[in-house]
Amino acid sequence: MVISRRDFLLRTSGFVTVSAMVPRWAVDGSRLFEESIGADFANRTLVVLELAGGNDDLNTVVPYSDNLYTQMRSRIGIAPGSVLQLDGRLGLNPVMTGLKALWDHNRVALLENVGYPNSSLSHFAARDVWHTADPQLAQRNGWLGRWADRYIAGSGNPLACTAISQSLPRTLLSDSVGVPSFVNLASYQYATDGSFPGDRSNQIRTFLTQNGAEYEIENTPDALSRVAEDAIHSSDMLQTVGSGYVPGGVYPAGTLGAGLLLIAQIINANLGARILYITYGGFDNHATENSDHDPLLTNVSAGIQAFFDDLDAHGKAHDVLLMTWSEFGRRVADNGSNGTDHGTAAAHFVVGNAVRPGIYGGPPNLANLDSNGNRTIENDFRAYYGTILQDWLGADSAAILGTGYPNLGFVNRSYA
Amino acid sequence: MSVNWTRDSAAHLLRRAAFGATPSEIDDLYARGLEGAVSRLVDSESIDLTAYEASLTAKGYNLANVRGLQQWFLDRMALSPRPFEEKMTYFWNLHWTSGISKVRGTTLILNQNKTERQYAVGKFDDLVVKISQDPAELVWLDNYLNRAGRPNENYARELMELYTLGIGHYSETDVREVARALTGWTIQNYRQADNYNGATFLDNPAIHDAGSKTILGQTGNWDGMDAIRIILDHADSQGSVSGRFLSSKLWSFFAYEYPPPYIVEELRDVYVASNRSIREVVRAIFLHPEFYEAHTRKTWVRSPVEYSVASIRMVEATSDFATASSSLAGMGQVLFNPEDAKGWDWGTSWMNTGTLFARSTLANTMCTNRGSNGTRFDPNRLLAGHDSSTADEVVDVLADRLNVNDASSKIRASWVDYVNANDDGSRGTWTNTAANVDKKVRGLVHLMLTSPAFHLA
Repeated sequence: MVISRRDFLLRTSGFVTVSAMVPRWAVDGSRLFEESIGADFANRTLVVLELAGGNDDLNTVVPYSDNLYTQMRSRIGIAPGSVLQLDGRLGLNPVMTGLKALWDHNRVALLENVGYPNSSLSHFAARDVWHTADPQLAQRNGWLGRWADRYIAGSGNPLACTAISQSLPRTLLSDSVGVPSFVNLASYQYATDGSFPGDRSNQIRTFLTQNGAEYEIENTPDALSRVAEDAIHSSDMLQTVGSGYVPGGVYPAGTLGAGLLLIAQIINANLGARILYITYGGFDNHATENSDHDPLLTNVSAGIQAFFDDLDAHGKAHDVLLMTWSEFGRRVADNGSNGTDHGTAAAHFVVGNAVRPGIYGGPPNLANLDSNGNRTIENDFRAYYGTILQDWLGADSAAILGTGYPNLGFVNRSYA
Repeated sequence: MSVNWTRDSAAHLLRRAAFGATPSEIDDLYARGLEGAVSRLVDSESIDLTAYEASLTAKGYNLANVRGLQQWFLDRMALSPRPFEEKMTYFWNLHWTSGISKVRGTTLILNQNKTERQYAVGKFDDLVVKISQDPAELVWLDNYLNRAGRPNENYARELMELYTLGIGHYSETDVREVARALTGWTIQNYRQADNYNGATFLDNPAIHDAGSKTILGQTGNWDGMDAIRIILDHADSQGSVSGRFLSSKLWSFFAYEYPPPYIVEELRDVYVASNRSIREVVRAIFLHPEFYEAHTRKTWVRSPVEYSVASIRMVEATSDFATASSSLAGMGQVLFNPEDAKGWDWGTSWMNTGTLFARSTLANTMCTNRGSNGTRFDPNRLLAGHDSSTADEVVDVLADRLNVNDASSKIRASWVDYVNANDDGSRGTWTNTAANVDKKVRGLVHLMLTSPAFHLA
């Protein structure tokens, strides 16, 4: 098999200058994107926050008035009197004051009991199900990767889908759209010999050639060829996004806060990023859950609040929607190690000015559990995805997810 | 079909069964013939380690912190006279993957690594038992908290899903029942305040669930040893499930991912016939003609660890492995600290724009180190004994050295152009001067180390 370069790489080869201005391809790409998707949707950005490990949503959004919760969570339950009440039945974990403030400003939609039938209790299978939106695991590409193949391919903007991550999230895996992935911009460039600065342009030219040229070895992964050019081009654009930036929010210390700040900087630099993805891990709390889980929720809540404060300060909140997901919830009953084992349905948050605020779905039904002691599904996760595809991204969700998933109505489609 | 044993075959075997090798090491292995070469690697216990272990101890890596542990293991992988033993230990490190962030105790992680090395090519049963009773693993997947009446499913699930059978070959009932069988396998002699250091295995009957359990269709009053035996004995219409699982994973690691069914069946039969010998399955892989086919070569994407080790070993650099260990996070693989029990995905998952830059930075740091500390090599030594009066010759020598001589003519031409190029990009002519060696040989090694031909093994 002979690997050939992608078309856009041919068009952009030799582009190695550093510029603080919005590049021509970003402008052209935005125009192409607008043509494919409609002007109302062309400036919108979706931020995807993955809570890796299986977030215990029952200790996140607590059914505080349900006696079964107190009984089945006798070791690690959140005290009913301490929750931040959302209504008469559900309340946030008391550490989540930031998200509660956003809720009070009508910027949060809460989706309850999200999942799919016959939920996998394996982290790895369940994660792939959520990444691909396919419980049969027959799809290679991610659900937003398929969106990108349909709406982004050919735009020529290497930053359209970007991950603040050490690895490429499968949600964004596609046939045609590269995904820059990084956690730290300072080291996001091709290093060359500092003793011979004059040789740098020779090095970079050769680097691009050796990665872009046909590499005549069977089975060589295409990803190796294209990733180098995506790297050089996105690096040129990203180097300046942090310089002189004044955050308009107080981000929590740690990787989530740093990542959300980076996302805000990229949004404010107007580089045409449409999907920005960030993973935050540590939610597989089989033991000593309270002391491990509460700090995670603190960072999630404070991070989201700081992020929207920052967007507000820069006048960008209008164009941004944030969604959370996690591969599953956790067993209703705690497990005796002061933790919880793997579960099924769970609650997720959508945050932004475009949400129709409120709670979608009933409180968890703790009286009706399956043979493993897990909850039943109320909202299919493909309906969750589909609503975002249709009403935030203006996409044909049936073409990406298949049909039969109702629009859940938590995004104000006519918002503009 | 038989193996066409060539020097390139020997180089391929050394890239896969070890971490890449120098030209003289390739010559030596080639001269042994196929069976001799494979035996030299997989039966390496006769190679004396005394001098190497003494030199390793003398380096004084600080094994009380994770950075020191990483340096210690990287050093072994790059410099041990038994590189296959280290490659196999690295395979188990990827397979069992306990993480320091949760285990916390560095002695536990070090001891787990030693256990993986000690049992690396023995009977699979022994390794599964040793790891299931390993204090680091007991903490990592919570089995030390698993007790009668208060079961914790975490280890039981991963034991079957990730380590022995694979998903789809057991039920949720089996998960619960194996968890019950494993109650009582815990740790003793530790203080949490001391990061579990000092912990040793304890089989505590007082917290073991002595009731009847049904595991994979077999009912009895099973304990942990029984559960492991039942799991490894488990067979379906296609025979041994663990045999297929392990064979498939070993082939994926050493040859290529998604092995065809006939390969898995052949290796499964070796596994069963050899009484579940890891060594014999691996030997069968290295003797298999399919292993040497062109479509098997240069298809493995080197992990960050393999990339770091191969780059140091193949240019015969001097190293304290400090930069290599501190660069692992940016490349996406913090040795001894995977994000979850599955460990890292392989293949092209390693490669994205961020990790690619991290690799280039690591390679550049080595290639431009002209000092007397840290990772460094002598560019003159790479040319010694070879004609290097033209740019073509320089490219040939270095391409052979780094096993990238299979790159296309276009890529090779870009390297020749680079060696000849003036700073303004115009075409000059390479001459072998000290100044040019210092600039262009270092620069070309860096370019080759950041080319697809080197990211692939």
